[in-house]
Amino acid sequence: MGASKGQKLSGLQKQVLSLYRGFLRAARSKPCEDRCQIESIVSAEFRRNSKQVDRKNFFYIEYLLRRGKKQLDQLKSPDTMGLSSLNVSSSQKQNAKT
Amino acid sequence: MAAVRGALLKHLRVNATPLARNPNPTSHGLFALTFNAIRRRFCDEVKGSFLDKSEVTDRVISVVKNFQKVDPSKVNPNAHFQNDLGLDSLDTVEVVMALEEEFGFEIPDNEADKISTINLAVEFIASHPQAK
Repeated sequence: MGASKGQKLSGLQKQVLSLYRGFLRAARSKPCEDRCQIESIVSAEFRRNSKQVDRKNFFYIEYLLRRGKKQLDQLKSPDTMGLSSLNVSSSQKQNAKT
Repeated sequence: MAAVRGALLKHLRVNATPLARNPNPTSHGLFALTFNAIRRRFCDEVKGSFLDKSEVTDRVISVVKNFQKVDPSKVNPNAHFQNDLGLDSLDTVEVVMALEEEFGFEIPDNEADKISTINLAVEFIASHPQAK
């Protein structure tokens, strides 16, 4: 997704960017240290997927969007410290990769 | 006494009618202008007012220069985030979020997607009364 230089964004790209924005907004509400960690994990995850996922693989991108929205809802809850839930998900992804 | 009161009332009524007629179409422009001037003065205290464009430009440029992936020497008021500064769409989201924090207000998604150059960011922020 990062490959496109043009200004026009597809609907799917807009959804991805809006999800990314949502994560960064949610991170703002967490304490400073957690916030930095959340931001770096989230940005690494989006960037990794933007390079690895084929931009025409709509089903997979839509699946990632749905999963991301669920994770965002969890992160938004004030009970979530953020780190644990995100660490679990990122370690799951690493497991899936190996 | 009654005659005096009558005359007085008549006088008052005559005085009052032009005021009541004020918001008619012919005087609307002037009325709206003064009304806006008054409202803006209120805004100064309650919501903040429009920022000076050159000040906005300076602050936007310093935010973009501080962004780690940007080469500060390439930043100028006409720079395009993706074409000139080499940022991707995710970086652009981060820059716009940093601008939100700098100016203390939230930019809605559909507006944020349109901000692709420094000039567009300046224009949007300068036209936004809540920017601080």
